[in-house]
Amino acid sequence: MAGLLRRQASPAAPGVPDVRADVVARALRPVPEFCEIVDAHLNDVIEQTGEAAEAIVGQMLKIDSMAEVMAGDVARLAGTVGRTESELAQVGASNAQLVDRLVRYFLYRDEQVRSLVDEMRGLKQHVTQIEEVSKATNILALNAMIEAVRAGDAGEGFAVVADEVRKLATRSSKAANDIGSTIADLTARLDAVLTDDSNFDESVQPEQAAGDTAMTRRLNGIAQAQREMSEMVAGILHDTVDAAQQVQQSSDALTGETTGAVGHVQFQDISRQMLEHVAEAVGEVKRQVEDTIGYAEGGLPAEVVTGRIISVEALRSRHVMSRQRVTHGEQAGLAAAVDDTPIIELF
Amino acid sequence: MTTVMLVDDSATMLMSLKSILTKAGYSVETAGHGKEALEKLAKGVKPNLIISDVNMPQMDGITFVREARKAPGMRFTPMLMLTTESEQTKRNEAKSAGATGWLVKPVAPDQLLGVIKQVVPGA
Repeated sequence: MAGLLRRQASPAAPGVPDVRADVVARALRPVPEFCEIVDAHLNDVIEQTGEAAEAIVGQMLKIDSMAEVMAGDVARLAGTVGRTESELAQVGASNAQLVDRLVRYFLYRDEQVRSLVDEMRGLKQHVTQIEEVSKATNILALNAMIEAVRAGDAGEGFAVVADEVRKLATRSSKAANDIGSTIADLTARLDAVLTDDSNFDESVQPEQAAGDTAMTRRLNGIAQAQREMSEMVAGILHDTVDAAQQVQQSSDALTGETTGAVGHVQFQDISRQMLEHVAEAVGEVKRQVEDTIGYAEGGLPAEVVTGRIISVEALRSRHVMSRQRVTHGEQAGLAAAVDDTPIIELF
Repeated sequence: MTTVMLVDDSATMLMSLKSILTKAGYSVETAGHGKEALEKLAKGVKPNLIISDVNMPQMDGITFVREARKAPGMRFTPMLMLTTESEQTKRNEAKSAGATGWLVKPVAPDQLLGVIKQVVPGA
């Protein structure tokens, strides 16, 4: 007979607790199935957390991949904008030089034209001279007429007048020649100013006040507008580069965070092994309950059952993780387990 | 390029470690257990570093390291154990089998990369 347990529903002996083996067996009979269901749940949790962890890692990798693509796009954008900014600065400087050159050229041209105008004013002297000659010629001609009337025989006086007229004609001719040559010179110089700027020396800085003409004012206005537009566009490009750099920094930070998060997914492997140990322990409980039922029903001898009774100490010895040992110690009321083994050890 | 062989029966671990190492510029080979890893070595895969789990089906990590040391060109290749186990006896077993070091999961990406630089010259 199995100890104090009675296998039949018969009255208990005096002083012996009324414990019936069939009742014990009946009470324990659902436990193995119960354990199997718990085991199935544990495996389900392992499977689900495994799938979830894989999905998390997959999503993290996608995010990481997108962040890398974004960082690449932004880097290319920053590079393009940076080059555009540089090219714009070059074009702006080139335009400014061109406008400055135009301003200088027009100042030079204005000076040349002003000089020509001054020289043309000099023609007035010759005109005055010709007018004087003309007046004198008229007077002489009048005198010649008078003398001719009175002449008669006295042609000598007429001869004197004629001589003076000749001199005046000579002066008049010279003045006319001077005017002609001066006009030719001025015409040539005007042509040169209009068609040839080889004498234009860009290094010479004309006096601004003297050169402040309608044309230079317009050119300076254009130059100023061009400078302002260049500065505005350069500012926009600079801001774009700044924004791109910030996006790139954020992307780098996101990549770093993603890597850290992917590293944390190791929890799934750890919890899986912990749950596998729990499932193993549940399996032991199930086996012991089955042993007990077998004994209560007379199928198993006592020594078999007592020979493989589960042990908390045996459970503790199977713990491989520091955390498992700590939890076990806390629950079993043992002294706090000290795990002084290093997390990383190079042999 | 430095090639790292990862041996672990956890798909999650392989995915996450491969991601971390690839991003750090390493080429990565993976195997689900020791036997598969040995087959890859036999086929000519020559990693500069092996990182292996301990508890795996078909062939555990310590046995794998012991066998891998016999493979051509693997005598001096660094082999790290990356496991949830922290017991000293297991560590000693791994050391005797030829492991270079022992890392307990979870290991932070920075820590892992730091150890790799320590054990692989020029990595």
